[in-house]
Amino acid sequence: MTSFVNALPGAITQGLIWGIMAIGLYLTYQVLELSDLTVDGSFCTGGAVCVMVMLAGGNVWVAMGAAILAGMLAGAVTGFFHTKCGIPAILAGILTQLGLWSVNLAIMDMSATQRLDVNQHSLLVSLRFLKEVPKGDKPFYMYPVLVVCLATALVIGILYWFFGTEKGSAIRATGANAHMARAQGINTNVSKLLGLVISNGLVALSGALLCQYQGFAEINMGRGAIVIGLAAIIIGEVLFGRLFRNFGLKLMAVSLGSIVFYLVAQFVISVLNINTNYLKLFSALIVAVFLAVPYWQKNLRPRKASKEVPNAGN
Amino acid sequence: MRKWIALALVLLLGLSMTACGKEEGKYVCQQAVHPALDAATQGFQDALKEALGEDKVEFQLQNASGDANTCATIVNTFVSDEVSLIMANGSAALQAAATATADIPVLGTSVTEYGTALKIENFDGLVEGNVSGTSDLAPLDKQAAMVKEWFPEAKTVGLLYCSAEPNSQYQVEVVSRELEALGYQTAFYSFADTNDLAAVTEKCASESDVIYVPTDNAVANATGVIDGICRPAGVPIIAGESGICSGCGVAALSISYYDLGVATGKMAAKILTGEADISQMPIEYAANTSYVYNKEICDALGLTPPEGYTPIEK
Repeated sequence: MTSFVNALPGAITQGLIWGIMAIGLYLTYQVLELSDLTVDGSFCTGGAVCVMVMLAGGNVWVAMGAAILAGMLAGAVTGFFHTKCGIPAILAGILTQLGLWSVNLAIMDMSATQRLDVNQHSLLVSLRFLKEVPKGDKPFYMYPVLVVCLATALVIGILYWFFGTEKGSAIRATGANAHMARAQGINTNVSKLLGLVISNGLVALSGALLCQYQGFAEINMGRGAIVIGLAAIIIGEVLFGRLFRNFGLKLMAVSLGSIVFYLVAQFVISVLNINTNYLKLFSALIVAVFLAVPYWQKNLRPRKASKEVPNAGN
Repeated sequence: MRKWIALALVLLLGLSMTACGKEEGKYVCQQAVHPALDAATQGFQDALKEALGEDKVEFQLQNASGDANTCATIVNTFVSDEVSLIMANGSAALQAAATATADIPVLGTSVTEYGTALKIENFDGLVEGNVSGTSDLAPLDKQAAMVKEWFPEAKTVGLLYCSAEPNSQYQVEVVSRELEALGYQTAFYSFADTNDLAAVTEKCASESDVIYVPTDNAVANATGVIDGICRPAGVPIIAGESGICSGCGVAALSISYYDLGVATGKMAAKILTGEADISQMPIEYAANTSYVYNKEICDALGLTPPEGYTPIEK
């Protein structure tokens, strides 16, 4: 159990980093109601761009800015496929994701992994700071949990503001009811494109943070990102759906969901001492349980539900 | 809903009680399930047990199942447990471990080129700091010479490898230079994953007289596919390691991953007893190499091995 407690900061940091990716996914999956599979590719794009810019001598802010732009570009490609070429969103995302493999490899100079050495570059987050900050080798404001918390708060703050503006409301309206939105004079294609661009920008930012945290970018790092993202969204909704109604709080719920997911993963490794070969099976089971909980709830209380809609049809 | 969550938590806690009580020990993070990597881990454990005594050392083996991101989770557990040594089996495992700690000694194994994996310029065999290990690189010039020995008449050599493997790129580039110095024409054939392996292998087999495959985990897992294409086409393969050779190759310069693990284990013993300082320990290579051939495929292609080759035992 002590092992689990000691590993908590690491698990929380990882959860928060993936949480930013999950917030990006939330924008397409829940707000726009589009299934965007670009994320598996754009996550790695973010990491790859961040590492390569830093290796070329750019500072960490420039690198992360470049990563976000690259991710946005990937989102724009999916948006183009979907809105201008008439390809269904899920397929458009798959196409971009597939193509991004080669692009990512090219970004990383045709090498499957690129290392970002924490000794040679000043990074925003690193696995190593988890130990160095408590020991006093690094100032407290470099503590990874704190840094990623602030980054998440910043992301949520900006999104909360943006989705309150006219453009942002138009995106939400498009997701809620596309026909109605068009009737109100909203160009739904522009909304979808914009949503995909913002979403993949966030996904790339998350990839950029993760590659700093673990010290390398790897061509397969985005594989399965969508599963982690959906898990975070669903866990967040099941645990906090009743409490959090506000849009900003809903985004926070996604981030918390991601933390819960990584805490459970860490628990499985540290406390249950399960062979990590079974980690993926456990991940799938965790998500399945959280998906099933709302369904069970509904079925366990059939009477209450019928009372809530008296004479609904009349 | 709350009841369900409480129940789930209680279940997990109940299980945890029986799994507690772990002592300090030496911890192994392995990148994927793979016969060569498994053999290296086994060798490491056997050597360390022999050097320090069976009851003096405790291992915790965690396997990332090929998912590089899981390496960060695993390494976080090890570092927060303050283990006495981390053995990282595979490039991603090494990169994550080297990022996570600057104090705990990290020994790599099955890593082909430390300069590439850790992004060290002008690498001279000494990583310095808290990292060292063993390399699985069989001398590449000798491998190129093997092609000349077996196929002096051939003109074109196809180099088949997986673009997602960090070490393969390095190996094929060096081998290509060596082969061209010997008067061969070379061409690179890279595949992204096992899905496009068959198509790339078809192309490679139709355009080459001989194929060379490096030490490549993706190839090692898919030798059946390669053999199914190259044997009917009558194109022989020189492989980078005996595991691949036994599946689809004609001959290989073999190193034993078990011996490599043993060598790593001996290094670990020296570090743990305080006999040696890891920052002064250069990367070690496999002590013994042997020339092996695959009898079944040689017979099928009508090839007679030169002297000094032993058949691979299956």
